[in-house]
This record gives sequence, structure tokens and C-alpha cells, in this order.
Amino acid sequence: MLTAIVLLPLLGFVLNGVLATRLGGNLVGKRFVTVVGCGLPLIAFALVVASLVELRAGAYAPLVEVAYRWAQIGTSPFEVAFYFDRLTAVMALVVTGVGSVIHVYSVGYMKDDEGFGRFFAYLNLFLFFMLLLVLGRSLLVLFVGWEGVGLCSYLLIGFWFGDLANARAGKKAFVTNRVGDAGFLLGMFLLHQAFGTLDMDRINAAFGAATLPAVSASLVGLLLFAGASAKSAQIPLHVWLPDAMAGPTPVSALIHAATMVTAGVYLVARMSGIYLHAPEASAVIAVIGVATAFFAATVAVVQTDIKKVLAYSTISQLGLMFLALGVGAYAVAIFHVVTHAFFKACLFLGAGSVIHALGGEQDVRRMGGLARRIPVTFWTFTIATAAIAGIPPLAGFFSKDEILWFAFASTRGGSPVLWAVAAVTALLTAFYMFRLLWLTFLGASRMTPEVEHHVHESPLSMTGVLMLLALLSAVGGFIAVPQFLEAQLPLPALHEELHRFETPLLVVSVAIALVGLAAAAFLYGSGPARSDALRQRFPGLHRWLASKYFIDELYERAVGRPLVWVSDRVFLRFGDRAVLDGTLNGAAAIGRGSGWLLGRVQTGSLHVYVWLVLVGIVGSLLWSWRHV
Amino acid sequence: MIESLLQNVDTLLLLLCAAGALGSAALMLVLQQPMRVAMALITTMVLLGAIYGLLGVHFVAAFQVLIYVGAVMVFMVYVIMLLEVRESIGARYSRLLVPGGIGFLVLLGVILISVWRPLPSATVEIGTTAYGIAAFSVSFLGEYWLLFELTSVLLVAAVVAALAVIRVGRVADERRRRG
Amino acid sequence: MDRTQLLIGVAVALFSLGLVGVIVRRNVLVMLMCMELMLNGVNLSLVTFAQQTGTTVGAVLVFLVFVVATVEIALAIPIVLLLVRDKRTLDLGAYNDLKG
Repeated sequence: MLTAIVLLPLLGFVLNGVLATRLGGNLVGKRFVTVVGCGLPLIAFALVVASLVELRAGAYAPLVEVAYRWAQIGTSPFEVAFYFDRLTAVMALVVTGVGSVIHVYSVGYMKDDEGFGRFFAYLNLFLFFMLLLVLGRSLLVLFVGWEGVGLCSYLLIGFWFGDLANARAGKKAFVTNRVGDAGFLLGMFLLHQAFGTLDMDRINAAFGAATLPAVSASLVGLLLFAGASAKSAQIPLHVWLPDAMAGPTPVSALIHAATMVTAGVYLVARMSGIYLHAPEASAVIAVIGVATAFFAATVAVVQTDIKKVLAYSTISQLGLMFLALGVGAYAVAIFHVVTHAFFKACLFLGAGSVIHALGGEQDVRRMGGLARRIPVTFWTFTIATAAIAGIPPLAGFFSKDEILWFAFASTRGGSPVLWAVAAVTALLTAFYMFRLLWLTFLGASRMTPEVEHHVHESPLSMTGVLMLLALLSAVGGFIAVPQFLEAQLPLPALHEELHRFETPLLVVSVAIALVGLAAAAFLYGSGPARSDALRQRFPGLHRWLASKYFIDELYERAVGRPLVWVSDRVFLRFGDRAVLDGTLNGAAAIGRGSGWLLGRVQTGSLHVYVWLVLVGIVGSLLWSWRHV
Repeated sequence: MIESLLQNVDTLLLLLCAAGALGSAALMLVLQQPMRVAMALITTMVLLGAIYGLLGVHFVAAFQVLIYVGAVMVFMVYVIMLLEVRESIGARYSRLLVPGGIGFLVLLGVILISVWRPLPSATVEIGTTAYGIAAFSVSFLGEYWLLFELTSVLLVAAVVAALAVIRVGRVADERRRRG
Repeated sequence: MDRTQLLIGVAVALFSLGLVGVIVRRNVLVMLMCMELMLNGVNLSLVTFAQQTGTTVGAVLVFLVFVVATVEIALAIPIVLLLVRDKRTLDLGAYNDLKG
């Protein structure tokens, strides 16, 4: 059954990819694509639920299914095997569930696009790879899924490849991910060398065994985290995610909010056996996570593109997840993955609905006053915004509060400093999200007349999904994910003396959310005057933040230009032209030169020829002395 | 060896003829006018004929003089007379005089060293066996009849070729005369 | 040095002189005559060895060499004549049209 879960989306890819695109001659219409493209993921979701039931019936003993033996090299078998336990169940439900509803949303959103069939083919392919990633038993299968989702991300970011900027964004995403994959591969090599297997459950067990393993847990942990940081857009490999907003909005929702970017979090949580014994690596993860969260939140405050704000918000929330992983609260991080999937997907899809309503406008400076015109979008967006800001009893409040609490009190690296930075981040999150809400929906309209004329509510296929996701954002917090995962991923122990801070910190979390709301209302409630005045007072800071701390320019200078120089000077001019071409041309020149030289024997003079006969006779006689 | 020479007239004559042949052959390289070169070659050939006679192969000596001197060299002399009247005396030596000289010495040395060392000692004293023409003809036409036939084929081919050359010559002449 | 060695030495010397004559002399007809000298040197060596072994095969070969030499001269001369017609000189330096 696990194999069926994985293969159903692949079937959808093959069918849609061949029949519904120019490849197969556009044989089928949109209805076929819709039925296949949305139906198969829904069936996969049902199968995941069935697997969960089966898991429960078996007292939560992990389900293992070996699909295919790929190779046997020496004593190491390399199999494609699927593994279903509590963690897998949570992730698979999110992937197939949220994935399916986003597929349904895409039916309405991409209705008028001529690449309709291709889009659904790619989406299904993405689901296939993501399920491979989540259900894989060995790191190798996970890596195949890892690379595959990277490929699909590239294909979907550059979906409208007619515009060169989109293609470049896709390329940037892929290349940045490959940098992280180098670390991932090195980690895999070390693990295989130490344990002879890449099966994750076996590796975790080996690290927990009595004898110390031969490889340093921190080293492996850092290498695997390098791959995770690229996939989940942490500093310094976060640069691809804002550019990835060039893709269609359902892609941003599915891949760059709900599922693919959380693959890094899943990896670290899955390999918790390693990280429990790697305090140095865990400390690094926590620091990078909280730094990324803070950095991204500061940038999001000044962004003017509705999708860019949400992109930086995603980076920031991922940072918080890594903070939770860094202090040992793996189950809490996964909990945040779940709630984040709900409200971030809702936010992105709502943004897509706004863009759809405005006929393509994405700049918030040219929006406003939409609340009454597109009410369903407005209310779902509001619920999701409140969730991300951490207003109780919505979903975001529960997961974020748990992260902050463990950051403060965990015995595995929790400290007040981490808590403080995370709290400031939470404040900024609430602020910029409500800012976005105000600028987009409330206040006076700043739209151009023709856009304003065009504003209409989205069809039911889109608003229905928004309502479902808003509902989940509201009540999702009550799904007790950490407790469900506790049997597999135990929560870390807490400092005894800090227990008394639990309630005060809870109050502080709520207060942060409300303060953020108030600040946004104050600055943006009554028109742009107050925010403009604030910008005038700090022009340098504003420029620094709006240009994302000039990191892209830094990478261009420090990495891009030297690479181009080396490629041009060393590889092209020296290696290719001088050495390779020179060798070939030199060989030809030797032939030509020796031909010319030998040609000079033919002088046309008979005297010379007969003299050569004499030389030949003498030569052969001399040779015969030696050898005959 | 001088005593044995004086005692044996045969050997003396052989020596004289050999020296003469070598001398006139060397003269060939040195003389300026082609006619004189032809005369030197005729001298060499006749002396070689004498050597063959001293060795006892009389019919080969006879054929040497008959064919070589009587046909080949006469033809040569005719042609020289034909061509030399019109031509002025040209340069004697080519560009390769010095390399040729060095080559000569080297070649001579190498061949002599190659050939003299393994020469078997004479089992049969040369000059003692007389090759009668009868014995030769029987052997030639009997055992080596194939070679005999091949020579006749070769001669026929030569005649045909000569005719062809004359034809070509005639055609070229007429074309030139017509301009 | 016995007779055999002497005669073979003479034959080799005649052959070498003929070969060098072809290299050294400029006049075409003189070159042809030097080629005849080479053939004569070979004939002498053939006769010497024929005498030594006592068989007739050496003499037969000498006879064949006669025939071939005659045929060769009979054709070489006309060719030379035809060439001389065009170039109007017997100097071999003028005949280098076939150079590479």
C-alpha cells in the first residue's frame, strides 16, 4: 500500500504529461486533466489515512515495505524501501492533504493558462518526489526525492519560461540547492562508511547504542544540516526563496510554504538519533535558525510585493522551526510544520486570490479597500494572519508558544538570549503581517481605475479551498501533534528552576501578538502618511532592509565574479583553447609539418634519388651485419 | 705473390685485364665528352670479355662482345653522334659530386666487408672447368626452357614498345610542324 | 687474396663506379652508359660464382642479363630522344618537373 501511495501521483504525471501537453498532441481536455490531476492525490491521501489506521491497529509498530532492490554492492544492499511510522504519518498527511487541496485550487487559478496540462503534470511529479522523500526508509531514497523536488521546483518556478527572469529564478533555486547537497552527500558517505547502511531507522538506533559510533555525530549532523539549510532556505543559502515567487501562486503555496521547504526540518527531525548526540551541531542549528528568523522578519517589514512579504515570512518561520530542532524539541518543530502548512498555504492562496481578482497586480502600494469587494478572501486571509501572529486560540499560537518556551527552558541548549531574539521576531511577524493585511484589504483604495473595475471574487474552487484552510488554521492547534509524536520523538527535559516562568512567558507571547497588531493599526490604519514619515526619518535603514542586506550583491561579488573569472581564464582560455584545442591542433600540425618535411625529399632531381638508393643499400648492408 | 704471378701467365693476364677494366671504368667518370666516355666503356667491356675467356666461359665472352659491344654500344655511339652535333658541351658534374664521392667510398667498403668475409674457399679452382657451348645449350633449352620463352616474350614486348615510341614521336613531330 | 676475392672485388668496384657515375654525371647519355657499367659488374660476379659452383645456372642468368640489357637500351634511347626534343638539352638539371 505504501508503494501505491507513492506511485499514484507518478501515474498522474505520466498521464497528464503525455496526453495533455504538446508532447502527446494535446489529446485530452481540461476536464481529464482535472480529474486525473486532482483525483489521484486525493486517492493517495485516502491511502495515507488507511495506512495510519493500520499503523494504529499494529500498536504503532512501523510499517515497512520493500519495493525494489536496486543494487547489491559487496555486502551492502541498496533497496527502495518505504517506512511508515508516526512521523511519516504526520508528514504524509500534510503533504497529500494540503497538496490535494492546492491541486483543486489550481484548477480555478490556472484555468486560462495554456500550460494547464503541463502544470498539473509537474505538480503531480512534485507530489511523487515529496512522498518518496517522506516515505523513504534509507537516506538514498530520501535523497532521490530531495533532488526530485528540487527539479520540480525548478520546473515550476520557471513555469512561464518565456520571461527570462523566471527562468533565471528557477536556475538560482536549483544551483543554491546543489551547494547544500554537497554537504548532504558528504554526510551520507560518512554514514555509509561508518555503518554500512543508509537506513535511517538503523542509523538512529546505532547512535543510541552502547558503543560509540566510529564517526563524529556533530560532523555528520552539520553536513546533513548544510543540505537542510539549502532546501529550507536558512542563512546563508536562503537567497533562492524570494526569487522563487516568480512561479505561479499555487506553486509558492505548495512547494515554498507547505511542503518542500519543510523537507529540511523533516530530515533533521528524522535523524534525531544523531542530533541527540551532537550538542555542537544542535547549537549551530539553533543559532542559525533564530538568526535567519530575525533577519527575514526585518526584511519582510519593508517589502512591497505581496508574495515577497509572504516569502520572507516563510523563511522566518522556518528559522523558528530550526530553532526548535536546535534545542531538542523535534516534535514541536514538526507541530509548527503542520500549523505553518495550514496558515501559510491559506495566506499564499489568499494572495493568489487577490492577484487573480486584481488581474495580476502584486504591489501592495496599489491595493487597498478590498475587504468589502472580495469578502471571502478577506476573512480567510484575516484568520490566517491572526494565526501566524500568534493570537490564541488559533493554530499558530500553540506551536509558536511551544517553540518559544523550549527555546527558553530546554536543557539541550535553551537560553534566554535565544528566547529574546525569537520573541522580537514574533513581534515583527505580527507587525508585518497585520501591515500586509491593512495595506491590501483595508483603508482607502489606491488601485488604478481599470484594475478597480475588474475586481471580482474568485470562483468556488478557489474560495472553497481558502475556507477549508482557514478553518484548519483556526482549529489546527488543537491537534496534539507533539503528544502524538512523543513516543517516537521525546520532548527534551526542562530546567527545573525555570518552570515558574511558563505562565509569564505565555502572557508575554499573547502580548507580543497584540502589540504587533496595535503597531500596524497605528502606522497603517489611517492612510500612508505615518509610515511614509517613518521611512523619511530612517532612509539608510530602510534602504538596507529593502535591499535584503545586499546579500545577493555580496554573493555576486564574492562568489559569482571569481567563478566567472576562473571559468573564463582557466577553463576556457587555458584549459579548453590552449590545452585541448592546442593539443589537437598540435597533433594535426605535427602531421602537416612532417608531411611538408618528407615532401622535400622529392626534389625532382634524379641524382638525388639514385644517391638515396646508394644510401639505402649501405643502410641495409649495415643492418644485416647486426641482425642476420 | 709476384713469383707465383710470374710463374703463372694466366694469373698475370687476369690481373692485367682486371686492372684495365677498372681503369677505364674510372676514366668513364672523369672524361668530359660523351664519345670518349663511350670509348672507355667499350674498352671496359672488351676487357671483361677477355676475363670471361680467361675463366673458361668462352661463349659468354663471345656474347659479351657480340651483344654488348656490337649492338648496345654501337647503338649508343650512333645516338651520341646524332645528338651531340646539335648540343654544346655542358657541365660535367652534378651538384652531388662530393656526396657521391663519399658515398662511393662508403659503399665500396661496406660491400667488400660484407662479401669478402664469408666467401667460401674455392672448392673448384676456377678456370679449370671448360664450359662447352654444347653443354650450355642443352642445359639452357632443356632445364631452363621457361626462361628462354620468357626472353622471347620480352623481346616481342620491346619491339612493340619501340614501335609505339616511334608512333608517339611521329605524332609529336607533325603537330610541331603544323604549329 | 685468391682469384675469387680479386674478381669479386673487381665486380663490386665496377658496380659502385657505375652507381656513383649515375649520381655524379650530368649528361643523360653518360648516365645511361654508367647503368650499363653496373650491369657489367653484376655479370662478372655471376660468372665468377657460376665457375665456382660448377653449375650452369649462373651462365643462364648472365645470358638473360644480356637480353634484358639490350631491351632496356633499345627503349631507353628513344625515350631520351623524345625528351630531348622538348627540352633541347641533355643536361639532367633541366629535367626536374616531377618535384614534390
